[in-house]
Amino acid sequence: MAQANDSATPTYPTREAVDFVIVGSGAAGGVMAKELSTAGFSVVLLEQGPHLKAADFKHDEWGYNHNNDLVWGARQGHPQTYRRTENDVAEPVEVSLGYAHNVGGSSVHFSGNFWRFRPIDFMEASVRGTIAGTNFADWPISYEELEPYYTKVDWEVGVSGLQGPWDPPRSREYPCPPLPVKSSDVLLERAAKKLGYTPYPAPLAILSQPHNGRPACIHCGFCNGYGCEVNAKSSSMATMIPVALASGNCELRTGCTVSQVNTDENGRANEVVYWEEDGTEQAQLANAVVLCANGAETPRLLLLSESSRFPDGLANSSGVVGKNLMFNGYSSVVGLFDEPVNAHKSVPATRVMHDFYELDPSLGFYGGGGIDARHFTAGTPMGMALRSGLFGGPTWGSEYKKNLQHEFTHTASFDGHTTSLPLATNSVSLDPNLQDKWGRPAMRCTYQDHPDDIATMKFFLDKTTELMDVAGASKTSGFIVEEAQTGNVHLLGTCRMGDDPSNSVVDKFHRSHDVPNLFMVDGSSLVTSGRGQPTMTIMALAFRAADNIIQAAQRGEI
Amino acid sequence: MNKHHLSRRAFLRSASDAARGSAIVLTLPMIITACSRANDARLSGESFQNLTEEEALAFDAIAARIIPTDETPGATEAGVIYFIDNILASGWDEQRLILQDGLRELQIAVGLSFGAAYFHELEAQQQDQLLTEIENTPFFSTIRYLTVAGMFSLPEYGGNRDSIGFDLIGFEDRHAWQPPYGFYDADYAERGE
Repeated sequence: MAQANDSATPTYPTREAVDFVIVGSGAAGGVMAKELSTAGFSVVLLEQGPHLKAADFKHDEWGYNHNNDLVWGARQGHPQTYRRTENDVAEPVEVSLGYAHNVGGSSVHFSGNFWRFRPIDFMEASVRGTIAGTNFADWPISYEELEPYYTKVDWEVGVSGLQGPWDPPRSREYPCPPLPVKSSDVLLERAAKKLGYTPYPAPLAILSQPHNGRPACIHCGFCNGYGCEVNAKSSSMATMIPVALASGNCELRTGCTVSQVNTDENGRANEVVYWEEDGTEQAQLANAVVLCANGAETPRLLLLSESSRFPDGLANSSGVVGKNLMFNGYSSVVGLFDEPVNAHKSVPATRVMHDFYELDPSLGFYGGGGIDARHFTAGTPMGMALRSGLFGGPTWGSEYKKNLQHEFTHTASFDGHTTSLPLATNSVSLDPNLQDKWGRPAMRCTYQDHPDDIATMKFFLDKTTELMDVAGASKTSGFIVEEAQTGNVHLLGTCRMGDDPSNSVVDKFHRSHDVPNLFMVDGSSLVTSGRGQPTMTIMALAFRAADNIIQAAQRGEI
Repeated sequence: MNKHHLSRRAFLRSASDAARGSAIVLTLPMIITACSRANDARLSGESFQNLTEEEALAFDAIAARIIPTDETPGATEAGVIYFIDNILASGWDEQRLILQDGLRELQIAVGLSFGAAYFHELEAQQQDQLLTEIENTPFFSTIRYLTVAGMFSLPEYGGNRDSIGFDLIGFEDRHAWQPPYGFYDADYAERGE
C-alpha cells in the first residue's frame, strides 16, 4: 500500500479551477479521490471532520456512543429534527441521520459487514412486481455490470470471506479467508443447520491476514461504532485516502463544511463554497463536482444550493432530491446461555444466513433479509448494563447488579437485517424552524416504515427467536421497531439513480440529469435498500462511477 | 491494597467539611463503608466542578442503590459521582436541569415520608422505597443512565475507578484476543466442526 506522504500533497489555489472537487471523504468519496487522483486529475477533497488515524481510536464507549464524538449531534452544534409524517411538525433530536464526521466517514466506524448485493436486488421490481404506493423500481444497472467493481473492492479495499451457497457469483475469490468463528456464531450455525438452513462465513471488510501492507485483525472487539486501532478494518481512511494523498494530485482539506455548490451561466457547476473550521468562507473553483457527502448531506447540499435557475434546489428538476429515504429494517433477539459466549470479543459477526433473502410472496407482503449473530450491544459494557433487565429482571438494585455480571458475557443476539421500501414520503429535507451552528437549516428527517417493512422485521424476529430456542438459550428477549424508526445510520436512496429524469436524480453513471458536470455518488444513489449492509455496494458503485467519469473526462465529455 | 477496597472516606470527608453546620451527619452505615484509604490523595480536598455538596451526597446515595455495594464493589467505590460531576460540567445541560428539579422533588418526599432532611440520611430500605416510587420519572432514568455510564465508561472520565465496573461484568479492556473466545467456539474447534 502506498503510504500518505505529506510532501506529495499539492496545494491548489482556490481561484483556479481544479479538475474535480469531491465533497465528502467517506466510503464513496475515498474511492473517488483515489481513482481520480491516481488517474492524473487534480482533486480537492473536502471533509467536514478531522483526519483521525488508527492511533487516535480508543475503546471510548462514552465518547463515541453517548457523547457522539464521531457522529456529531446537537451538542456539537449539529441538531437535527425528526417527524413521522409530513403532517407532523418535526421535533429537535440529538441525532436522527447518523454518520461519522471524519476522514473516511462512516467506513471508519461501521461494523465491517460487507455483503454484496445479489442479482435480485437490481431487478426485484420486475421479478416480484411493483408495489402500489411505493417507488419500488429496478435499477438501471445489473449485478453483472457491477460485479467487476465488487471484485475491485474485495482486492483493493480488502475483504475477508469464503464463497458460500448464497454468495452471488464472483469473478475472483476473496483475497483473505474468513475470520475465526465466534461462540455466538457457533450457536447460530448449529441452530441453523438443525433447522435445515445454510449459514456460511460472513464477508467482512476486516482483514483476517495481512493484505496490501495492512495487518490482520487483533480481535479487540471494538468495530461497530469505533475506529480500528490497527487499520485492519478496510475503511477508506485506511485504504483509499493514503493512496490518493500519495498520488501527488489530491489535496485533502479537513474541517471544511460545504455550504453551497454554485453554477455558471450555462448551468454547470463551477464553484464549491465552504467554511473552514474558524468560519472563514472559501470558494474552490472546479471543472466538475462530485458529491459523496452521504445520503443525508448530499441531498441537503443540493437543496441548499437553490438559485433562480434551480429554484427547487440544484439537480432537482425531478423533485425527488431527498426523497425515497431508506434505512433498512432490523430485528434482534437476545438469548442467555449457560456457558461463556464472550461475543464482545473479535469482529461483530462471523456467520451469516441468507436463506430468507427473498421472502415467499405468498406471505402477503414484500421483503427479505439476512441473519447474523452478534453481541447484543456491539460488545459495549455500558450499553449492555443499560439494557440489563431485558429478561424481565429489575433495572436497578442488587438483583440487577447480579444479573448484569452474567449477561455481558453469557448472551448472544441473532439479528435480522431487512429491506426498506422507497417511499416519496420518507425524506431528508431542510427544517424551517431550526438551524445548525453555521446558520444552515437543520436536517429534517421524515420517516415511517412501510407496513411491509414492519411485517418483514416481524418475520425475522420470529425466525431468529426460533433459532435462539433451538440454540438452547435459557431466556430470550426480542426487539423490533413497533411503529417507525426515528433514525438510522443507513442513509439510502435520496438521489436515486435512474434512466428517467422525471423520477430520478442521477443517470446510471451517477451524472446529474440536470447539471452535466455534477455527480452524486454515495448511499443516495441506491434505488432499493438491499438487505441491510450497504457499504460494500456504495464502494463498488464509487469504483464504477469513477471509471466512467475518468473515461468521460478523457473523451472531453464532462 | 487490592482495588476492591472501598475508597469513600475522602469523599465523605470533603463533603462533610462543606456541610459542617448543616443538618448533614454521618450515619452509621456510612461510617462503616468508609474505610482504609485514608491516605488516598486523589480525593482529599477535591471539590466538585458542577454539583453542590448536597447534590453530590444525594446522587452518590442514589447511585449506591442503583449499583449497590455488596460482596463486590458498587457505584460508590467506582467513583460514579465524580463521573457525573465531570459530565454535567461538559455540556449536558438538559440532564443537569432534570437532576436539579428532580432532586428538589425527591427532598420533599424525603421530608414527607420519613421526616428527614436528606435522602442520603435514610436507611437503604427507605431509600429503595422512595426510588421505587419514582423509577418511571425522567429524574430516575437520568440518574440511572449516568450511574451506569459512570460505572462502565473509561476511567479517564472520572468513574469506573480501577476498572471496578469492567471487572464486575467480566470485561477486560485490551487490544488483542485470540480464539477461542468463549465456550462454544472452543467446543466447535475441539469437535472439528
